[in-house]
Formats: sequence, C-alpha cells, structure tokens
Amino acid sequence: MLDLQGYGPRLIEGAGVTVQLAVLSLILAIILGLLTASAKMSRNWLLRRTATVYTTVIRGVPDLVLMMLLFFGGQIGVNAISDLLYYNYEIDIYINFNAFTAGVITIGFIFGAYMGETFRGAFMAVDNGQIEAGKAYGMSNALVFRRIRFPQMMRHALPGLSNNWMVLLKTTALVSVIGLTDMVRVAAEASRATHEPFVFLIPVAVAYLLIASVSEWIFARLQKRYDIGFGGQ
Amino acid sequence: MAATPTPLEVRNIKKRFGDTEVLKGLSLEAQKGDVITLIGASGSGKSTFLRCMNLLEQPDDGELYVHGEQIRFKTTKHGREPADWKQVVQMRAKLSMVFQSFNLWAHMTLLENIIEAPIHVLGKPKKEAIEHAHALLDRVGLSARANAYPAQMSGGQQQRGAIARALAMDPEVMLFDEPTSALDPELVGDVLKVMRDLADEGRTMVVVTHEMSFARDVSSKVIYLHQGLVEEQGAPDDVLGNPQSPRLKQFLAPKY
Repeated sequence: MLDLQGYGPRLIEGAGVTVQLAVLSLILAIILGLLTASAKMSRNWLLRRTATVYTTVIRGVPDLVLMMLLFFGGQIGVNAISDLLYYNYEIDIYINFNAFTAGVITIGFIFGAYMGETFRGAFMAVDNGQIEAGKAYGMSNALVFRRIRFPQMMRHALPGLSNNWMVLLKTTALVSVIGLTDMVRVAAEASRATHEPFVFLIPVAVAYLLIASVSEWIFARLQKRYDIGFGGQ
Repeated sequence: MAATPTPLEVRNIKKRFGDTEVLKGLSLEAQKGDVITLIGASGSGKSTFLRCMNLLEQPDDGELYVHGEQIRFKTTKHGREPADWKQVVQMRAKLSMVFQSFNLWAHMTLLENIIEAPIHVLGKPKKEAIEHAHALLDRVGLSARANAYPAQMSGGQQQRGAIARALAMDPEVMLFDEPTSALDPELVGDVLKVMRDLADEGRTMVVVTHEMSFARDVSSKVIYLHQGLVEEQGAPDDVLGNPQSPRLKQFLAPKY
C-alpha cells in the first residue's frame, strides 16, 4: 500500500468518510425525493405548495451557502429546541450538530429536491392501465404502490437517479469547508504541509473515479433488473 | 327472496365529466349465471357505466350492491366518494375486470400476473396459487407461456392471460371492457371462445362489446345504450332480432 509520506492511512479513512457521507445523503435524498414527488402529485393544495417552495429554494441557493447555513444555524436551532424541551418538560437531551450530521442533512435536502423531480416524472411515466388493473383486483393503494407503481417507476427513474448520485458524490467534497475530515480535506492539509499537491490530489481524483465507476456498474445492473419485461435493454 | 344474494346490482347510476352528463341514471341487475352485454355506439357511456360498477370511476349518484352488500358513499369537497375505501377494496376483489388493453403487469411473467392478487389480496398460499394458475393457463391454452412476459406475447395471448388472471380471483362477477376491440381480427376468435366457455359453465358476466354475434349467441340479456340512457333491453333475440327504436335499427344495420 502506498505510504504517501505517512498520510496514506488518513486518506483512506477520509475516503471512508466520503463514502459514508454520500451513501447516507443518498438514502435521505431518496426518501425526501419520494415524499416530494408524492406531495407534488397530491390533490392537497398545501402539500403541493410546500413541495414547490422546497424545490425552488433548493434550486435557487448555492449548495455551499445552504451547507454553512445549516451547519452554523443548525446547532443554534438544535440548542434552542433542547432548551425549550428542558425548561418546559424537563426533558434533557443534547444533540451534537457536528459537521457530518450537517453534511448528510444538507446534501440529503439538496438532492431530495432534484430526486423529487426525477421521481415525479418517473411516476407519471407509468401507464395508468397498470395501476387500474391493480385497483380492479382489490389492491389497496399501498399494495399498488409497492407491487406495481414503485417497480415500474424505478425503470424510468434510474437514469436520473444515477446522474444525481454522481453529482451528489462530488458535492460531498464541499463538507471539507465546514471542517469534516473527508478525503479532500486530508489531501488539502497534506498538500499544504508537504508542498506536493499532486502526490495527494491525484490519488483523491482517482478514488472518486473509482467510486463513480463502481456505482455506474451497480446502476447498470439495477437498470437491467428493472427493465425486465419491457423488451429491449 | 333468492337463496343467494344478487351478485351485482346497480341502481340509477349518474356520472358527468365537466359539463357533459355521460350517464343519466342507469340500472342493471346481474343474477347468478347471467351474461349481460352492453352495446351502443362509442360515446354512449357503456364503458363508463362498467367502470362505475367497480368504482374505477366514481358515480355522482346512484346505488351499488355487491353480493347484497351496499357500498356506502359520502360527499366531500371533491365530490361523491366511497365512505369506506376498505369496503371498496374488498368489493373489487369479488369483481374481476378484463380490460380492452389487457393491462397485464408488464414487469411480471404471465404466471406472476396470475398469482399476484390471489396471494397479496386474498392471502392464498403461494403453492396453491401456482397450482391453480397452471390449471387456468391450461384452460385458456397458454401452458407453454407461463414464464413469458406480456411484451413477448401476442395481443390474443395477453387477453387470454388476462382472463386467466381474472379467473384466479374466483370472482363473483366478471366485468369485460371491450375485450376484443384492441385485437387483430384473426385473434378475436380465440378470446371469444374462452368467454363463451365461461358463459357455458355459468359464470356471471357483464360484457361491453362490439361483437354482435357474441351478444346474440352467448348473452342472456342485451342492453342497448344511447347517450347515457337505456334505449332498449331484453333477450338477445328480441333486442337484436326485432329492434324497435330507429336508432338501434340503424346501429345494427350493415355499415357498408
């Protein structure tokens, strides 16, 4: 294993942080995306409105600004809530709003908005006859969702999902700004200390590329799986 | 009183889309073993009427009884709606629909299509559902296609597969929404033959169709709809053999 002037183990640790951050953010983004898509297709005016405001705000404000807002503002907010709980109900909790949490929440929220659009388009692409057949055979809405709408929607959502994931992965580099020691931050520190930026930044670039290639392979497999029955690959 | 409850009864169904009233108060009663065909020009409301029977369309007015049980409605700001969706879901499981465009689930094989609702809706054990499915596939002549996906099958095969899916629910009443209209002419016969067999074995069926020979030979009752109203109804020999209204005469006249 490359020693990288003693920074090797820390870089690998940093890469682990990057992957964890990206995967957790993705999970949050998918959940928020599904909720946003449902809200946008709902017949409830307030839900539709809320979803639109959410996507508009996220799309209009730079990622970095959102992240710093959440990181610096988040702890203030969390403290205010725990104070409130303590004084009113004597519930004593302490939540440490660290850079990792802030990173996951911010990236999850940002990409939840984009995923929302991806999922909405994908849900609308599902043939209505498929859903009607489910209803006509006595399936509840939840069952229709789980057995028909979701699996058929995924086929349309995967290309967009895979795109969003690639951008999300690279966006995680921003968390180094709020102090999280991901692999970018380790590389930046090492470059400053040793004055040899290429030694550290090129491996980092390769590591991102590697993660991206592995995910591309996973997405290709998923696409194949959800294309089953639709003819052509 | 009949010993068994009437499988399906609808009374005074009304439905409007925007400013157009498409159903102006339609009623129908299907006793066990009845085969009722609904005929009429396109736009007469026959498909909408059928879709009101399993509430894929919400009627604005009227009553609905399945196996003697009345479906309850309430009025909300979105219009009239079922009061209890659980009741609707249970009711739908007793009525199987066969669609014009088949609507087999595209991401499942034919066999998976057939066992889907029996397992997940009726709670049938998987093994039993599969055995039943194979028997049904054999019946509709599709044993060899159990593991095919709908996209790999011809329209006629898909529709016979869809009928097998409907039968797998062991339904009280089968609803057919123009089952042969999307098929190439040479494939229509196989589907009609399966439907005829079902009628012969005493299945209760409500069929929207353009196939006059099927209506004449198979059904126990024909209802001719015109602009959302029943124009004529009765035994097929009377309605089709001796039409009274000028409109029905014109409808039945050769088109060339």
